[in-house]
Amino acid sequence: MTQAIDNERLRRTMMFVPGNNPAMLKDAGIYGADSIMFDLEDAVSLTEKDAARILVYEALTHVDYGKAEKVVRINGLDTPFYQEDIKAMVKAKVDVIRLPKVESAAMMKELEELVSVAEKEFNVAPGSIHLMAAIESAKGVLNAPEIAAASNRMIGIALSAEDYTTDMKTHRYPDGTELEFARNMVLHAARAAGIAAFDTVFTDMNDTEGFYRETKHIHQLGFDGKSLVNPRQIAMVNQVYEPSEKEINQAVEVINAIKEAKVKGSGVISLNGQMVDRPVALRAQRVIKLAEASNLLDEEGNYIEK
Amino acid sequence: MEIKKTALAGTLESSDIQILITKGTKGIEIELESDVKKQFGDQICQAISETLKGFGISQAKIKAVDKGALDCVIKARTIAAIQRATNASEELDWRAI
Amino acid sequence: MVRKAKELNLKNNEDFALWKNFLENVGINNFSEEEVNQVDLTIGIFDKQKLLATGSLAGNILKYIAVSADSIGTGSNFNLIVSELIGKLALKGIFHTFVFTKPKYVTSFQHLGFKKLAVTEFGAVLERGFPDISTYLADIKQTENPVKKTAAIVMNANPFTLGHKFLVEQASQENDLVYVFVVATNAGLFATDERLKLVKQGTQHLSNVKVVSGGSYMVSYATFPAYFLDSPNDLIEYQTTLDALVFKNWIANYLHINTRYLGSEPLSRTTSIYNKILKKVLTPEISVKIINRRQLLNGEVISASNVRKKIAQNKLNELNELVPETTLKFIRENAAILKLRIKKGMKIRGN
Repeated sequence: MTQAIDNERLRRTMMFVPGNNPAMLKDAGIYGADSIMFDLEDAVSLTEKDAARILVYEALTHVDYGKAEKVVRINGLDTPFYQEDIKAMVKAKVDVIRLPKVESAAMMKELEELVSVAEKEFNVAPGSIHLMAAIESAKGVLNAPEIAAASNRMIGIALSAEDYTTDMKTHRYPDGTELEFARNMVLHAARAAGIAAFDTVFTDMNDTEGFYRETKHIHQLGFDGKSLVNPRQIAMVNQVYEPSEKEINQAVEVINAIKEAKVKGSGVISLNGQMVDRPVALRAQRVIKLAEASNLLDEEGNYIEK
Repeated sequence: MEIKKTALAGTLESSDIQILITKGTKGIEIELESDVKKQFGDQICQAISETLKGFGISQAKIKAVDKGALDCVIKARTIAAIQRATNASEELDWRAI
Repeated sequence: MVRKAKELNLKNNEDFALWKNFLENVGINNFSEEEVNQVDLTIGIFDKQKLLATGSLAGNILKYIAVSADSIGTGSNFNLIVSELIGKLALKGIFHTFVFTKPKYVTSFQHLGFKKLAVTEFGAVLERGFPDISTYLADIKQTENPVKKTAAIVMNANPFTLGHKFLVEQASQENDLVYVFVVATNAGLFATDERLKLVKQGTQHLSNVKVVSGGSYMVSYATFPAYFLDSPNDLIEYQTTLDALVFKNWIANYLHINTRYLGSEPLSRTTSIYNKILKKVLTPEISVKIINRRQLLNGEVISASNVRKKIAQNKLNELNELVPETTLKFIRENAAILKLRIKKGMKIRGN
């Protein structure tokens, strides 16, 4: 149990970086995003696809992005760039390939097949390249459960609201009502498949209040995190995801109880005379991870007053 | 490999390098413009030359305008220019890089 | 700040007003129809709706480059606009670019890989890319060992007349080697390749004469746009000076040219200013010889514009006094096409 959750990383923030911009590629690691998404798709013009692919390849293989998870959004499978993108990114040993405009499990399976072939071709450990899907249409939303479960390589599923709202014959509103169904579908699909759920981007950099409102909302729903277009949004998301003192203290107690049970060799974890069941233990471990990421724990694992 | 036509890759924006490549007859000739030419000119030219050699190119004229590019950016832009100057329709051999 | 490059359509009133207003604010005021009509493409750098920088292309020449001084990152907007324009040209397979600019902006362009061709106190012309002036000169150079007397003539030859022929023959007699540069810009009744061909045919009997295209460097849209437009005297003088400096510093220097031959030009205002400035810039390093126009017995001057006029007036039988056999043959064989060009609005007046 402990092991399973230890492998799950925090994915509060996934920062978009345009694939053909050397200045942004160079600095992408310094903002502390949990995941960095290098974009070969929408941020790159048709005439620069070749150059961006090579540039991202070189950046991935030479620039130190620290602990951040490295994700590349490749071009869709209906484009002439799709196969070359896969080859290059597998060779670069990127952590995750993100496929845009996914509408079916078959699309992920096709990608998985090509990734496997490329892993063999470039001597990359089989199964080491992970996948995620971006859901950008009504069809994608309705098929989210099968997409999320399409492959063992899947680590996440993301909602992309711009195309989705267009497909739904609406646009984005400040209150987000138009996204409610899609958000819940994507989230449920992710949870049922045991993978991460990412919310869509919020592009109006001047509307700080709106950004907080939306982030609090998706945090409340249960999303792992949010896709971001600007590094300034990272601290804001992290702040929303920061656990409270009470949550941390409770989690620390749970974790101590788990340790104690281990030492005693007891099969049952108990705290204050009550049994600690699995969901409680998992939540405690996640809170500790969040607290650590927010620098709210000291070396002994106790809450630090801010 | 042989340069078949003139090609350009990269931009003039900060942290980038723009590589213009064309046919040459006197080995590899590089003309570099960079604010840090004095300090890093040799290093930049070497990164370009080595990338060209990696693709088996021994004859080429290059004009490079550096805006503070990292070595990996220099390499990436040189590869993109080579790819465009040799045969853009052909897929890049990712095993060669 | 999210900067976006966007094309502006100057035919669209709204875009044009935005663009013109922006340029006027930075002190650019030349919006004559002739100048603006040269523009093939205009790009704007925007932050949301706010225009931060703009630049245009006329053929391979950068024009109307302007960056708003009050925006953050003036330098980076400048780099971005030039980068975008060069990228657009590259997509069309053009890797060679010119810019005319004020002397104070020369360094900014040099940082982007431009090389100075000529600078005066009023302006400068720079180029970048391939093929450049060194490539051009290496291609036309006749001999590594300079001969004693090398001369140059630059002519539009629209078309090649007996006057041109006389000028070349004079130079040929007085020198060991004569370069005849035929203006490359395609702006006259006779197309560039036709003019070049007729000069070659008309000078074939002279073994020491080498006829080449003037490329982008002699009386071209790049070095001397005013030659092709109806321009005020001061503009002609300023551009002529640049053109003469390019000739002196690069062409003559590299090809070891010591004499430039000119035909006297009583009829064309532009050409007479050009001749005056050339003399001022080139001497004493390069001697300038002005050969007087020959006149017909009736006092008529042999000039290319006279030839064009007669074509327009359908007086082909009067041409044998004005042009050599080779040119005459071409005009006869192509009379229908030439007249069609005139009908379609090709100017026959001018240079």
